[in-house]
Amino acid sequence: MKHGHWSIIALVVMFAVVATLFLVCPADAGKLEDAIAKTPVGAEAGKIDPKAPPGYLGIKGAPDPNLIYGFLWAIWVGWIFSSVGAFGGIMAGVGHITIFGLGDYAKTFKKTSPVMNKLLTDSIRVSNQFLVGLSALVSVTNYYRMGRLVLPLGICLAIGSIVGSILVPIFTAGQISLKAYIGYFGIAVFVIGAFLFYETTERGQRGKKEAKAAAQAFEAAHVKQAGKGAVDEKARGVRVLKWGLGRIIFSFYGVEFSFRPIVAVIGGFIIAAIASFLGIGGGFLFVPFLTSIAGLPMFLVAGTSALTVLIGMIVSIFSYMVIKGIPVYWTLIGAELVGIFIGSMIGPRTSKYIPDIWLKRIFVVLALYVGIRYCSKGFLGYSLIPPF
Amino acid sequence: MGHIQKHPRGLIMQVHPVYAVFDPYLIWFYRITDYPFVDFLIGTFVLSMIAVVIGEFTISLAFLANRKFIEKTTDEVVRYQNISVDAIEAGNKPAYKAANKVANEAFGRSFFMQIALSTAFLWPIPFALAWMSYRFADLEFGLLFTDHTVGYPFVFFPLYVGAYLLFKRVKYKIPYFRRIRRILDSSANRHREMRSFADLLPSKKKKTDIASGK
Repeated sequence: MKHGHWSIIALVVMFAVVATLFLVCPADAGKLEDAIAKTPVGAEAGKIDPKAPPGYLGIKGAPDPNLIYGFLWAIWVGWIFSSVGAFGGIMAGVGHITIFGLGDYAKTFKKTSPVMNKLLTDSIRVSNQFLVGLSALVSVTNYYRMGRLVLPLGICLAIGSIVGSILVPIFTAGQISLKAYIGYFGIAVFVIGAFLFYETTERGQRGKKEAKAAAQAFEAAHVKQAGKGAVDEKARGVRVLKWGLGRIIFSFYGVEFSFRPIVAVIGGFIIAAIASFLGIGGGFLFVPFLTSIAGLPMFLVAGTSALTVLIGMIVSIFSYMVIKGIPVYWTLIGAELVGIFIGSMIGPRTSKYIPDIWLKRIFVVLALYVGIRYCSKGFLGYSLIPPF
Repeated sequence: MGHIQKHPRGLIMQVHPVYAVFDPYLIWFYRITDYPFVDFLIGTFVLSMIAVVIGEFTISLAFLANRKFIEKTTDEVVRYQNISVDAIEAGNKPAYKAANKVANEAFGRSFFMQIALSTAFLWPIPFALAWMSYRFADLEFGLLFTDHTVGYPFVFFPLYVGAYLLFKRVKYKIPYFRRIRRILDSSANRHREMRSFADLLPSKKKKTDIASGK
């Protein structure tokens, strides 16, 4: 990408960071110490035992997530990432919430120390976000190769994304109980599972096969036609045909495209807010949003959506960590990164033996299981499916 | 940035034995001058540089181990991206949309492969931050002209970016990385070049020619 474009992005991020600093109240460091001070002392559940060894985040008596389990779970996450694509973030979230026992620990403080319950929930949310942020960072490095056209749309999305990513931590940090969080997490899992399910249907499969056949037919015909016929010079390049808040129409090489800026800003806000709130779904939601609602061709939006998610994640993580002082268990994150790398290396090698469609079917079933379990635990207070 | 303040001590996590082994060597860089803030910057910059170098080394190993798969995946992305650009050039929107759809599928596979490679580069960062948390968790830095304070990650990340940019300039003076670059270059030369939509935009010279009626 040209230096100018990176400068624009850097300026946008800096503006968002500075705006965050001036919009929120100062002196929020020491959140964890405050929460511990407000939690009753004792050896029972929902209390902090000062004689117990320190665990997660240094809290005495807290579970100490086993780094080996974290590493192994992350291999599973990495394998999913490279085999299926979507769903890796969900599995990472499930790891933080359920597998490492952090969710159950946070739940014990629901009545005895709601402050601690909510702080631990926020710590889990931020841990989930690092993975989303990493995905966006990787995608953005590809963005510059896609061409200049996407930057204006990216800025529209980024405006909404930044606003969503600032407001969500401000209004929700310290406000969300674990029960509510896993309920909403479960809903997001259902939505993502539905997208995966569509891709396994005959309609979803047929669309992909037709696209591939059409692209290959054009490629074969184009090679034969190369050099024949002149291109109308006046049709070269981008020509804006109509400006407006409702719709911008432009032509590129005589082919018309359009997008709705207002929809882009609002969509950027909503999706960034969801990604900031839950720590999942940012990139995954942007692509179908941009292709179906904003009306842009799919390939054009890959880098654009990633850029928006990246900016949103930087602002969101900054807001949670720096402004709100939410603590993170770094060693666990590090072990997870190593595990994800190893899993991602295994995935391509096993994908030869497992058809893509069957992998997606397995994960649709898994999405149904995780979605029902988390939604019922979150909104009903108990799980409808085992383990109860 | 303003002064460093001591915050009343709260928690101490049990120091993992691995960190205890490296601690005496890492903390040495934080005790070079007698100025605390300068020492903190020097020590954190050195820590960042160590994280960058280790990350560059491990990502190069990951690349060498997965070169064929990386090349195959990248080639598929480039092929369908080029078809979509060719389709635009030919004014064929249905072909463009079809190629885009396939290119996006290929991009998705390439994307997750790159996630994997990036974890091979970034994994030292959380461990560096974890070590810093044992030593500097209670430090707060006051920001000038505001009442805000920030912690050690706020200093680490910009210094990490600086260390990365500095190492990027000197990387290819190191024989090992020069060899990796030669392998990367030979890999790029064997494969088709990716066309960008920007290639279709008229160049300045052509714009001038058109404007002057040539």
